[in-house]
Amino acid sequence: MSAVASRSVAAALRSVTAADRVRDERAALETFAVDAIVPRWVARPVSVDELAAVMTVAAEERLIVAPRGSGSALDLGAPPARLDLVVDLSGLDAIVEHNADDLTVTVQAGRSLHALNRYLLAHRQFLPLDPPGEAHTVGGTAAAGLSGPLRFRYGTMRDLLLGVRFVQADGVVTWGGSKVVKSVTGYDVPKLMVGALGTLGVLGELTLRLHSLPEAERTWLVAVPSAAAAQALVASILDSTLQPNRIELNDHTLGAADAPLAVLVSFGSVMEAVVEQGERLARLARDAGGEARAVSGEWTTASDRVAGDRRTTLRVGSLPARLRSTFETLRRALGRIAGARSTLGAHTGLGLWRVTIDGATPEAIATAVAWLRDAVAEHGGYVVVTGGPVAVRRRVDPWGPIAPDALALMRAIKTTFDPDARLNPGRFVSGL
Amino acid sequence: MALTRKFVDELRAIVGKDGLIVSDEGRLVYECDMHTFYKGLPDAVVLPATSAQVQAIARACRREKIPIVPRGSGTGLIGGAMAARGGVMVGLNRMNAILEVDLPNRCATVQPGLINLWLTNAVRERGWFFAPDPSSQMVSSIGGNVSTNAGGPHCLKYGITTNHVLGLELVTGSGELVQLGGVVADRPGYDLVGAAVGAEGTFGLVTAVTVRMLHAPEAVKTALASFTSMEAAAEAVSAIIAAGMLPAALEMLDSVMIGAINAGVGAGYPEGAAAVLLIELDGPNAEVEAQAVRAAAICRERGALAVRVARDDAERALLWKGRKEAAGAVGRLAPTYLLQDAVVPRSKLPLIMRQMEEIARRHGVLIANVFHAGDGNLHPLICYDDRSAEELARAKLANEELLEAAIALGGSVTGEHGIGLDKAKNLPLQYADADLNFMYRLRGVFDPDRVMNPDKLLPAHPACGEGFRPQRPVVPAGAWV
Amino acid sequence: MASGPASAFTGPDAPDLDALRKCVHCGICLPQCPTYHVLGEEMDSPRGRLYLMRAAAEGRIALTETLGQHVDRCLGCRACETACPSGVPFGQLLEATRAQIERHGTPAHRGLLTSFLYRVFPNPARLGTLLGPLRLYQRSGLRRLVRVSGVLRLFPRLAAMEAMLPDLPRGVELPELTGARGTRRGRVGLLTGCVQRHLYPHVNRDTVRLLSVAGYDVVVPRGQGCCGALALHAGRLEEFRGQASALAASLGGEVDWIVTNAAGCGSAMKEYGHWLPDVPAAQALAARTRDVSELLAGAHLPLGRLDATVTYHDACHLAHGQRIRTQPRDLLRRIPGLKLVELMDSDLCCGSAGVYNVLEPGMADALLERKVARILESGASIVASGNPGCLLQIQKGLRARGAAIEVVHPVDLLARALTERA
Repeated sequence: MSAVASRSVAAALRSVTAADRVRDERAALETFAVDAIVPRWVARPVSVDELAAVMTVAAEERLIVAPRGSGSALDLGAPPARLDLVVDLSGLDAIVEHNADDLTVTVQAGRSLHALNRYLLAHRQFLPLDPPGEAHTVGGTAAAGLSGPLRFRYGTMRDLLLGVRFVQADGVVTWGGSKVVKSVTGYDVPKLMVGALGTLGVLGELTLRLHSLPEAERTWLVAVPSAAAAQALVASILDSTLQPNRIELNDHTLGAADAPLAVLVSFGSVMEAVVEQGERLARLARDAGGEARAVSGEWTTASDRVAGDRRTTLRVGSLPARLRSTFETLRRALGRIAGARSTLGAHTGLGLWRVTIDGATPEAIATAVAWLRDAVAEHGGYVVVTGGPVAVRRRVDPWGPIAPDALALMRAIKTTFDPDARLNPGRFVSGL
Repeated sequence: MALTRKFVDELRAIVGKDGLIVSDEGRLVYECDMHTFYKGLPDAVVLPATSAQVQAIARACRREKIPIVPRGSGTGLIGGAMAARGGVMVGLNRMNAILEVDLPNRCATVQPGLINLWLTNAVRERGWFFAPDPSSQMVSSIGGNVSTNAGGPHCLKYGITTNHVLGLELVTGSGELVQLGGVVADRPGYDLVGAAVGAEGTFGLVTAVTVRMLHAPEAVKTALASFTSMEAAAEAVSAIIAAGMLPAALEMLDSVMIGAINAGVGAGYPEGAAAVLLIELDGPNAEVEAQAVRAAAICRERGALAVRVARDDAERALLWKGRKEAAGAVGRLAPTYLLQDAVVPRSKLPLIMRQMEEIARRHGVLIANVFHAGDGNLHPLICYDDRSAEELARAKLANEELLEAAIALGGSVTGEHGIGLDKAKNLPLQYADADLNFMYRLRGVFDPDRVMNPDKLLPAHPACGEGFRPQRPVVPAGAWV
Repeated sequence: MASGPASAFTGPDAPDLDALRKCVHCGICLPQCPTYHVLGEEMDSPRGRLYLMRAAAEGRIALTETLGQHVDRCLGCRACETACPSGVPFGQLLEATRAQIERHGTPAHRGLLTSFLYRVFPNPARLGTLLGPLRLYQRSGLRRLVRVSGVLRLFPRLAAMEAMLPDLPRGVELPELTGARGTRRGRVGLLTGCVQRHLYPHVNRDTVRLLSVAGYDVVVPRGQGCCGALALHAGRLEEFRGQASALAASLGGEVDWIVTNAAGCGSAMKEYGHWLPDVPAAQALAARTRDVSELLAGAHLPLGRLDATVTYHDACHLAHGQRIRTQPRDLLRRIPGLKLVELMDSDLCCGSAGVYNVLEPGMADALLERKVARILESGASIVASGNPGCLLQIQKGLRARGAAIEVVHPVDLLARALTERA
């Protein structure tokens, strides 16, 4: 594209937004780089109509588009091959409608989760999504499929997203789902958008189901001597009438081979029920050879606070009943990485592990991930590299292999809705 | 469309003599689901026993461009399991095995024909259950529940079918046997399971389902509060939720329905009350006890005539029995009825109730109400005598007006029954052309030749089967249709 | 209704269209239906059969052979009635439809019945199946039914098979009047029944004894005939009405209740009101008919210890036909030492269903197999059930499996436990 053409794109974008909401100067663009690929333009729409207009310009100019919320999960997925336009959604941060009596809210995609929940606190309501990190936007949480410990009780974005307004690759504003807590009208388009990494459309507005904040909440930490004991404890909790909010295996620093593990469990309810469930948990803990003690509910774990470009994070999907063997497998895989400091924790009630590796070469990480993939595949497990240096994600497919029958359908979906492959191309599974 | 002898022979070779129904009488029985208003004779009914047979049927039909209509127990309320354009109906009810129960991983894998309640029956003694509980759960199949994304009274707390489906085995309209999702959570890639649940057989035929199993709660308390007006009951519903409770179920019945149920199954609902609220709380004992007291107090504050708490399981079962069999019990009021399934925001319940009374009066129809008040999912049963064309016409008018009123209040066309043939025409109330176009194209991914359950879920397009052309939205962004 | 095609049903006793229209097609009956269980096709479900009946009533289909097959295949167990929230009187509709088919059905359909018997009767392997029904055949009104059906020419073979049967139990002559003992509660007339009288005479004897101890004067009228249940279920309404009227006349004496210990008889007698609206004696009989368990449930019985693990099979015509489920169970639980264990799918038909096991042996065997499997799972050493047809059928099934499980009428166990000797 010539410089003239480039200027005309900027002008076109400005004409549908505003002069100060389209950037094309190098210094500004660099802060919007995705995996060191610097875009040529950044547009910051402040309404869904503007977003649609921006996307229409992008369609006319055949621009490669990357949507961006807070930028905190930009290292999810493969590095982009090319990038023309970053659509900065931080200007779409309004609460469009909060129906407190109906426990629903409609927010623009760029609203941060924290800001939304701060607002809802006054109504004693909340959106029970708690991915680690402070900055995630609601739209980003949906697109990246992020979740946190509360998912054990409340589910994920998949379960809470009622309706979604998005802009397709061709600039057409599209609405799927409904505004009410229960609807099966038409295909469940919102589900398709969750975790799709913006490859089928750019999310503009989301209608979400809210929950009332529990009156009381307490957390207990159970230190158990071994992974086998942790598995026994978790199994006994799952096979009981306890209704925890969260069941976590706390971040565990590998290295000290026999260091005890910590299972964290929280209950939210009326105070009597919280206390009573805590007592029952204590009994289960003793049966598993551990001891429960009340702790303050600090769910942002140590590894979440470790920033830095050198950190690689993995999500390992496994079965909750295979806690011990998955733990052993992870320890074996990570133990082989020379010079690495690794931690691991899990949404252990659901068999979802998160691994942080610090201070290892991309080659070593790639080798470990490949080995791990083989090891967990036997029981339907998988490994996703959820973040880390570009060098790592160039060397190893962050998503891992997708079964051919499902992949064929995914590819057909992508081709149907983004035939020119302009929405985050190459970053999603199998290069979609 | 008549099938060729050769094609019938091919079907027989796939499913065997005992799995093929071609007699006039046999096909007649399969001409409709519970929505008897919509009838369509299948040219053949096949009852496969394996996924491989299902795939062979799908491939044969696709080759010949013959419509495929899946059917489970035939209890749908939307004209979904009927052969709108003839073709081959695939009854999956014989594929009804529980393939695996894996409680340590909180899941089970079943064949699609398994009756919903049988899954819970299989694990009840171990203290577990399958949460989706459509009122038809004693007969409807899990495959059918998946296809319609069925709800039920307890989905207020537990969510609808899609929230409990982890994996699917599906024979797509293109004849591929695919495994989607699975027990392990958050698999990378598009959420194909999420997209396929509720597709009403337009994506393909479900041949196996992996579902989430839940441990039964420690305590369950069911209470019945009677009110002198529907509005008072509706206000109590909102107040209970606003007080921070999430009951397992919040069901409402009006006086017409109360009478029909009492005559039918003798649930012992109080006669004379204008509305009854069935409140079920479950969870840890201490929570249930505390919340039951609070919920009862809220009902009394709203002028409840009486609040009765079931003393034991038998009484609780009886209270529920009436509710669950309501749709059948209404047969005592009128030979036929239209059942509306629209949703309104919960806070709009008092308003829609007033509007409903007005609509009923204007059209001179009897409307019985039994519905999931907690999530605003209406179920007015608009009674008519199908021997009178004029009565039917009035019932249909009332039905459409009700739906439009619900949508005008920010609601949804269907909460749990689905679209089927019945409501395909109503989708434009909720979706603009662009939205429908997206759905048309999504359907094409799974069923490129449009053999799967034609005329269901999406409105027929003037261009006869072509997807809508992309166009600018007809409503401004930010406005809710 | 607007003038449409003519109904396939004609003449008196046509299935009531309003009753057919009560079915809202909800399908709740499907999983309760034994034939749907086994075959998994909707023509052989209550909803499907009702749909076909209605189609016939509305002139959409004729009384075809295929329709006849699906109607014949119904066991008449009426489990669907229990399940039905709309109150569809399936049993009555079935009987009325069968009457129509009897009257108008094609020759081919009648030939079908014959062919069934042809295949079944001369087959020695079926001997066990036939044992009970054959006796039933001998003693009940079925003989005439079979004759009319054109099976008469089979008689030599039947006679030969009958000769192979073991001796029937010796008949028990019951006194015409047995006085009440203890506090007098009333006067009852006992229906001795066709099968019960000949195959399980001791059940009648025990019934008299228990009722007497319970405080009832028990009259056993002489010359009482068949209740007509078999004819009714076969749709032979004229014959049924004749038998019913005769029975009403012979049992209609000065009694408070008419007691039966055969579920099938009691169920049919309670239906007299529907089928004989113009016969006051039949109406009166229907209103006063009680199953023995209903009367005993309200009475004091001096019961001694009987150590046994017992399970209870719900006879269809007790559980579904008369809605009697708790009384027999409660009575059994009253016996000290007796442990009652629930039978899974207790109210799923055992396949006996009158003469069904002769006419539809494949289906009957499939159902019996399931029933026997559930009984074996229950761990009981005794199965109790309140209908002679069920007792015969289950006995046959258990014998075939070599299971040493006793099959008895609940009255039998109560009598064994009775401490007051006659």
